[in-house]
Amino acid sequence: MAENEKKHDPEKEKRKIQTVSRMKEIMTDYYIEAKGARENGRKVAWITSGGPVEPLIAMDVIPVYPENHGAMIGASKMGAQLCERAEEMGYSRDLCSYARADIGDAVAKTGPIGGLPEPDMLVCCNNICGTVLKWYETAARFFNVPLFILDTPFIHREFTDSARKYVLSQIYEYISFLETHCGRKMDYEHMEEVGRLSVEATQLWQSVLDTCAHKPAPMTAFDAFFHLALIVTLRGTQVTVDYYRQLLDELNDRIDRGIAMVPNEKYRLLWDNLPVWYRTRWLSDKFAGHDAALVADTYTSAWSGMLPDITGQTFLEAMSETYTKVYINISIDRMFDIVAGMIRKYDVDGMVMHSNRSCKPYSLGQYDLRQMIMDRLGVPTLIIEADMVDERSFSESQIDTRIDAFMETLKA
Amino acid sequence: MNPIDRFQSVWHDPNDYARKRKQQTGRKILGYFCSYAPEELIHAAGLWPFRLLGTRGEVRMADTHLQSYCCSLVRGGLEAALNGSLDFLDGAVFPHTCDSIQRLSDIWRLNAGFAHHFDAVLPVRLDSPSARQYMIDVLNEFRQELADAFGTEISDDAVWQAIGDYNRIREKLRTLYELRSRAPGLFDPSTVHRIMTAAMVMERREFFEQINAFLEGVDPDAAGLGDTGRKRVVLSGGICTHPDIYELLARAGADVVWDDLCTGARYFEGRIAEDGPDPVAALADRYMERTVCPAKHRDTTARARALVDMVRQQQAGGVIFLLLKFCDPHAFDYPYLKKFLDEAGIPSLLLEIEEQPPPEGQLMTRFETFVDMLSD
Amino acid sequence: MITAGIDIGSITAKAALIEDNRLLGTRLQFTGYNAQKAGKAVLEELIAQTGVQREQIALVVSTGYGRNSVDFADKAITEITCHGAGAHFIDPETRFVIDVGGQDSKVIKIDAAGKVLDFAMNDKCAAGTGRFLEVMARAMEADLDDFGEISARAGNPASISSICTVFAESEVISLISKGETRENMIAGIHESVASRISAMARRVGVTEPVMMTGGVARNPGVVRALGKKLRVEIRVSPHAQLNGAIGAALLAARMQQAA
Repeated sequence: MAENEKKHDPEKEKRKIQTVSRMKEIMTDYYIEAKGARENGRKVAWITSGGPVEPLIAMDVIPVYPENHGAMIGASKMGAQLCERAEEMGYSRDLCSYARADIGDAVAKTGPIGGLPEPDMLVCCNNICGTVLKWYETAARFFNVPLFILDTPFIHREFTDSARKYVLSQIYEYISFLETHCGRKMDYEHMEEVGRLSVEATQLWQSVLDTCAHKPAPMTAFDAFFHLALIVTLRGTQVTVDYYRQLLDELNDRIDRGIAMVPNEKYRLLWDNLPVWYRTRWLSDKFAGHDAALVADTYTSAWSGMLPDITGQTFLEAMSETYTKVYINISIDRMFDIVAGMIRKYDVDGMVMHSNRSCKPYSLGQYDLRQMIMDRLGVPTLIIEADMVDERSFSESQIDTRIDAFMETLKA
Repeated sequence: MNPIDRFQSVWHDPNDYARKRKQQTGRKILGYFCSYAPEELIHAAGLWPFRLLGTRGEVRMADTHLQSYCCSLVRGGLEAALNGSLDFLDGAVFPHTCDSIQRLSDIWRLNAGFAHHFDAVLPVRLDSPSARQYMIDVLNEFRQELADAFGTEISDDAVWQAIGDYNRIREKLRTLYELRSRAPGLFDPSTVHRIMTAAMVMERREFFEQINAFLEGVDPDAAGLGDTGRKRVVLSGGICTHPDIYELLARAGADVVWDDLCTGARYFEGRIAEDGPDPVAALADRYMERTVCPAKHRDTTARARALVDMVRQQQAGGVIFLLLKFCDPHAFDYPYLKKFLDEAGIPSLLLEIEEQPPPEGQLMTRFETFVDMLSD
Repeated sequence: MITAGIDIGSITAKAALIEDNRLLGTRLQFTGYNAQKAGKAVLEELIAQTGVQREQIALVVSTGYGRNSVDFADKAITEITCHGAGAHFIDPETRFVIDVGGQDSKVIKIDAAGKVLDFAMNDKCAAGTGRFLEVMARAMEADLDDFGEISARAGNPASISSICTVFAESEVISLISKGETRENMIAGIHESVASRISAMARRVGVTEPVMMTGGVARNPGVVRALGKKLRVEIRVSPHAQLNGAIGAALLAARMQQAA
């Protein structure tokens, strides 16, 4: 009953982002294409979310993202069940829930899309974590397919010349890996064209996120979590560029017409870490109930942080730096600089950090980051303990109380 | 003090040893967490590399910086840095290792307040020429940083000298392991473990003298000592800081005869070539070729094949996995390692260790049952 | 030849007497704080109950957490090995034992002779043990003995997702306040216990037939949920709590014969 009433609430209807339906179409087409790849003589590569997808697009290989799949499993509330499946296979309950859910579904095939299309090859870039290395090794054994590892050294202080040389030579090794397993040569002109589209999409994505600098914000981080899918999966395609242009137009129109995502936006918050996929709705309502909008987040902006500087170099050359410098491949002090910039840009009143059991590189260091934000910027920061996919690590009553208490201090 | 007592006292309180020895020798001390830390370069700089193994005390101060889902090595290591028990350190080096140690480096640099801090971000891949070249580059950069920080020069000759010192220490450790494997009853169950700890924390020249003296005093053919009548097992995992495990296993009827631990055989595995043109390339080659830590990549089944080979070569009946809770790289490898062992008909037992191993009663139940399972 | 097995658990002490592969008698009583006394007492009571003379008992094997405090036992053997032997004695077809007691749970894979092939035990955490059920019963102000029967009437088991006993308790309390039925909640609690145990069982690899032992085996709700999760038929041992003691007595007989 309550659900029905909500659906017919004209106020709520007005606030819905219309472009959402286009995203659903594109993602459905994409998964149908990926699932039918074998029949159509096309190859499928599994790739990590922070990995360079552009060479795959240029080689007409369909990229498939186990992490995106993990998020789908989480959002479908199938996380615990599939994680358990992996635990039965001997994988510890403490491991990343994307990896567990995905490993579980590779065997069970009971997830939201009945299992991912099987890979012909694997491309793993460790700029997001060391976990993907182990996860992709597992996949390489399970599917018995070739694995390419792009090793992007962590940046504690600076991106050194030796690291640049190392990553760049791996980018060429990556291309020859693709040439070997696709049985044809890379068309470098096409590669640059794909690179140009990727840059364009990334710029558009940043503009989409930037609309939230407007008060009130036309969307929130919860919307960004959803619209993120294309910049992750299909960077370097025209369809992605067109999509974000459409979305940007709609958001700008909302600004013109004064439509806010949170009706009485009073508090502007910054989210840190991956979403709690199985509770986005609950959290969104929870914050909206306090007139608080999550106007930005460090997670979805990580992809626009990948914007390469292609002046004076080819896209491939620019890639080595771009992919190495992503948000979680840098030290806590460098992260602080980025967060501080976002706090200023979006004029944020408080920060909410998701301490995510699944993601150590993102979560370890949050306590120090929080202290720096509070001490140096005076921005109140809340930490909630949860997990991105495994709902068994979510305590509603605990988080409910913490958010209420945090909002009380903000309001005081 | 005879060598065994010396090892025992170092094991008992490594920090106290370091503090006193530093006073006597004036040597500066650099801490490290990982067997990929280029000790030879530290040694060549005239410094003394000191392995950090967490804390034996309670973790309190580190809780302000690290979540509970972080392994005890990282939490305990930070605790020791914050609570002053590592006051003798002049600094530490972090050779990347894993997601947790990588963040520990940041937190340590921002909070621990030691004079020096180094990050030697080694490659994760150890299977390509470009990774090897990058490894050499990083080692050279570290060598330069180290020299600059301590106002010294690290000549090729000094590195060659250090390589020679380390080769000799590692040979002795191998001899020790081989003696134990041949005649487990020669030593008390935890002796080798205590010596390995000493090997990683003692001022290396002193350790070399002591291990020589110790090995000279061992009579490998001592009548009746060799054969314990117990079953043979190997350990696999990351670090082991609990000598009780060896004692309890012996009580349950098994001797540890070899291991794949980074505080064990992986520490001394691999001889560095002493006749090449470039000493740093020689160091890199040992890392490129040695059995990998699961946080590094060589190929996708190398570790399992090496483990099965080790069990066969050591004529062991089974494997005990000693995994630190929240250590992702090891936890990811466990299912496939177990599968390879199962297929080879080798029984195994998984032991997850948090700050402390499981309570003794529970541990004995597992050990005794496991030993019963092993064929004679 | 008569042999005795004594199983000192965290809550109860059990004893069994075996004569020529035949069960002479069993006894169960509370352990109390002194495991040594409990071992002696339970055997004395059993002797009195069966009329067997102490001198007739050729060999005593102790098992359970308190096995080493039974100073008059000839040998102490772990409860895992004893459970394997006991289950084999009770039903020789058994190839897998699930033992869920008050403080811990274990799964044991055995061969055709009752010898242990592989096993796993729960970690320190109480999830998947009798203790978890006790805490939940307290939160619901219900009698644990009624749990099995009540859950049989559940239409739609509630989902209790938390693994942590403390979190799960608060989850149950919030379900109560949301008006979830007792039947559904208790069935949900049973499914949660079954999930933990089945994950452990699958890690070892389930081989049929499966026998369940231990105090929790008396709860038909858990047995049902576990059977559903593992998709196997679960045979509950008629001597659920005495399995370890029986196994110990059998192993004593085997040792005596070998000697």
